[in-house]
Amino acid sequence: MAYSDKVLDHYQNPRNVGSLDKDDPNVGTGVVGAPECGDVMKLQIKVGDDGKIVDAKFKTYGCGSAIASSSLATEWLKGASVDSAAQIKNTQIVEELSLPPVKIHCSVLAEDAIKAAIEDWRRKQSAREDGAGAGA
Amino acid sequence: MIHVPAPDPFTVFGLPRALDLDERALEQRYLRLSRECHPDRLRATDAGDCIAVLQRAAEINDAWQVLRDPWRRARALLEAERPGVLERNKRLDPGFLASALDLAEAVADARGAATAPLRAQLTAALAADWDRLRGHVLRGELDAAARAVHESHYHTKALHDLDAKS
Repeated sequence: MAYSDKVLDHYQNPRNVGSLDKDDPNVGTGVVGAPECGDVMKLQIKVGDDGKIVDAKFKTYGCGSAIASSSLATEWLKGASVDSAAQIKNTQIVEELSLPPVKIHCSVLAEDAIKAAIEDWRRKQSAREDGAGAGA
Repeated sequence: MIHVPAPDPFTVFGLPRALDLDERALEQRYLRLSRECHPDRLRATDAGDCIAVLQRAAEINDAWQVLRDPWRRARALLEAERPGVLERNKRLDPGFLASALDLAEAVADARGAATAPLRAQLTAALAADWDRLRGHVLRGELDAAARAVHESHYHTKALHDLDAKS
């Protein structure tokens, strides 16, 4: 199966590989997996006070399409608002990377990772608000 | 064409659905079953019989490939007991997945002398996965058993990657 040029580009030069401090209250971490292929994807976002994503990092263990999907996702996340990030759909990733049907699950994994990271960040935010309320 | 679901491998071999099988006895059973339905031995009188014999031979071969591999056997057992259980339990604990990612990184970075302890660690992790799986199956916790099977796949894959490096 041939990879598209965009997949190869992200695979050979992945953007935003790395980690953010998962204990930072402004960082949301999502870790998701596709057990049937043994893939795992970690995606992290750092959100500024204005609700915009200031940084995004990923680490993916999996095939070229999974790496490309998460690499592309971090590119789209940087500078986006949390609300618009939550709207990213796997079909947009499929389209951008020209993923074949057998690799669609890689884009689903990326969407799941984005959602999990946002959920984690929101949980931290509400915990902080609760904490501030209780402390006052 | 009508799709007839294949019988589960335990049924093909006439064995109770069990996780632990005596591998020597299993192989002997395979050889006996194969002899019994060898196309040359059973001189099929008409085309219908011939197809049935070939189909039975194919089923025996497929079942053998599954039963001889403990993890494939485990998957077959879970699917036979509760169809769809593996598919429904694909969401794994993020903490586990994070550790699987660390292991994959360690495998990718391992050089020379570092590979032996890593191989021992992964082998131990797989043995622990199997024990956990067995416990869940004994207690009838098939959802948790399915997750244990999925988690083991990460360790199998990491071990495979490690072996591919040397």
